[in-house]
Amino acid sequence: MTLTYNSVDELQRALAEQDYIAERGLAVAIYLALKTGKPLFLEGDAGVGKTEIAKVLSALLGTKLIRMQCYEGLDVNTAVYEWNYAGQILHLRLMEREGLEREAMERELFSQRFLLKRPLLQAIEHSHEGRAPVLLIDELDRSDEEFEAFLLELLSDFQITIPELGTIEATMPPVVVVTSNRTREIHDALKRRCLYYWIDYPHFHKELQIVERKAPLIAPMLARQITAFIQDMRSMELFKRPGIAETLDWTAALIALDQNELSLETVQDTLGVILKYQDDVDMLDAATIQNMIERANVEAQRAG
Amino acid sequence: MSNDPPINSLYLGPAENPYDYRGGKLTHNLILFGGVCRALGMNVTPNRMMDVGQALAHIQLGRKQDFYFTLRAHLVTHKKEIDYFDEAFDLFWRRPSDGFTTLNLQSLGEERRKKKTQFLPPLEASPSENGASADELDSSMIALVPTYSRQERLRNKDFADMTAEELEMAKRVIAKMPDSLGMRRTRRFEHGVGRQINMRRLMKDMIRKQGDVTRLPTHRRKDKPRPVVLLCDISGSMERYTRILLHFMHTLAGSLYQVESFVYSTDITRITRQIRQKNVDDALEDIGQTVLQWGGGTMTGECLHSFNWGWSRRVLGRGAIVILITDGWDRGDIPLLHREMTRLRLACKRLIWLNPLLDVPEYEPLTRGAQALLPYVHDFLPITNLSNLEVIVKALQNLNGRQSADAYRKRYLA
Repeated sequence: MTLTYNSVDELQRALAEQDYIAERGLAVAIYLALKTGKPLFLEGDAGVGKTEIAKVLSALLGTKLIRMQCYEGLDVNTAVYEWNYAGQILHLRLMEREGLEREAMERELFSQRFLLKRPLLQAIEHSHEGRAPVLLIDELDRSDEEFEAFLLELLSDFQITIPELGTIEATMPPVVVVTSNRTREIHDALKRRCLYYWIDYPHFHKELQIVERKAPLIAPMLARQITAFIQDMRSMELFKRPGIAETLDWTAALIALDQNELSLETVQDTLGVILKYQDDVDMLDAATIQNMIERANVEAQRAG
Repeated sequence: MSNDPPINSLYLGPAENPYDYRGGKLTHNLILFGGVCRALGMNVTPNRMMDVGQALAHIQLGRKQDFYFTLRAHLVTHKKEIDYFDEAFDLFWRRPSDGFTTLNLQSLGEERRKKKTQFLPPLEASPSENGASADELDSSMIALVPTYSRQERLRNKDFADMTAEELEMAKRVIAKMPDSLGMRRTRRFEHGVGRQINMRRLMKDMIRKQGDVTRLPTHRRKDKPRPVVLLCDISGSMERYTRILLHFMHTLAGSLYQVESFVYSTDITRITRQIRQKNVDDALEDIGQTVLQWGGGTMTGECLHSFNWGWSRRVLGRGAIVILITDGWDRGDIPLLHREMTRLRLACKRLIWLNPLLDVPEYEPLTRGAQALLPYVHDFLPITNLSNLEVIVKALQNLNGRQSADAYRKRYLA
């Protein structure tokens, strides 16, 4: 693999240039994934930036990002390849008139021409073009055990066998990023083949940095208030704690509403951007929000 | 070879760059560390250790942080292992004054007073000196069990081993066990009579028959057994049934597909991994050591709250069936219990309440807890004379006929 980063520091800087603030541990994991060709297995609550890593990596490496969203019942036909049946049947009718031999017919029907390439096959084939793509296997926990077992095979050999065509092998294995929200435990056998990293919610300064990167025009005070407020909220016992994605959505919402600082009214109006469960919204009555705003103000002053 | 460290000692490099190991000493230390991680219950294979060795070639060994994350990315495969790993790492790779440190596990105990710890040293750790043999080291490391640090004393539960008759009965029961407690239609297809045409098969047929269509092969949705979640009350009032219920849970975990097991009284503990062991005596002993709240009061609401918040999203996917095993005696917060039962009912496909407090034939679910549970369960399975597993299995067999909780609700709820 032609990788220009020779140290973890370099990679960390490059990630920051792509507006991705990675803590040291994550940077080490990514660096090792690139160097040793092992898949990167990322776990963490929703909205902490797991998917984003794959996007940033593909931009960084200047390669294509191939994304595969997992869901239950995902099978070889949607994940790897499928034959273009309509095309094949049409072609078969035409060939019948020519009276071809059975073998010749099969060769023609099951050729690249009628092969529909799905993400996993694409990821393996694209490697031929000199630069390995980034393959994002998103939310693996949504798929079922059958698919997990198939993936196990793919990730160890990086080759796919199509009975009618033969084995297709990647000359350059793709950079694989697997993510999971932990709605189901992924089998140990799969995790063992990967580099594991648990992405936690960011601490105050990291999150502030992210907010400022993603919304450069924001008033510094508001950015600090937002960050402090969200950090405070995460310490509460919520069914779904807000992730970085929610922080950024909320920031965008407040900017769109032309707000310069947090007020009880705006927070109440925009709570739906941060909290997605009615139980959680109910926990935040006016008095609680007022308290949280005051605490956020103090925190923001101190950080400023 | 006076320069070589003893087999159970850690060798550290020169003072100016302690992490720059040369001449195979690093490998030596890594293997020792791998052993410690294995003793803590992590799945560390020789292959993994070889991967670590290769990965270390890519980083600057001088940076402790990078060294730490490299080891962590390879050895840890689960979030909860991170805490164990951190502590083991700190203790193992700290720099001692003399360049050698023994892997004396009592030092873990000393450290415990200074900071919060995730694991306790073995109770009777032998004070292994420099000359301790490899065997001794090995045995003391295996005794190192991860557990939560608690103010209260660790109360081990002692389950007598199964008798020959009990084992015999368990075998009979397993044979009678239903294969599943319900099926779920998955989104995966299998060959068979159905409404959708299997294009792939059709194409193959057509080629074989030179383009003729003689029949339309179909496929249908595949059915799979539903996952099962067991929540078992182990509080004081349930004490006399605990052993038999754990046997039952063990049987279920061994014969059904995807069973998650939890026990609760004042706190809830997941015992899925422990109960999966083949030998029931080993499993029970392991559970006795892991679970700390034997025979306490019951706080069902609080326990269901931590279950709903911490576990439900991870174990109640895919239309799970929940079996709640409790006598309905409750000392906790009743409004909270109502709220959590609502949530639990919404999150699962079917909620079954197995009630063992029915030695008296005229038992009525009238306690506060029982009154709070009854409105939310789909099935109410009272079990009289819970003396053996066969009784429970019989109750579960009746389940397919949908023994509804409605009759009980009409009779006992205002």
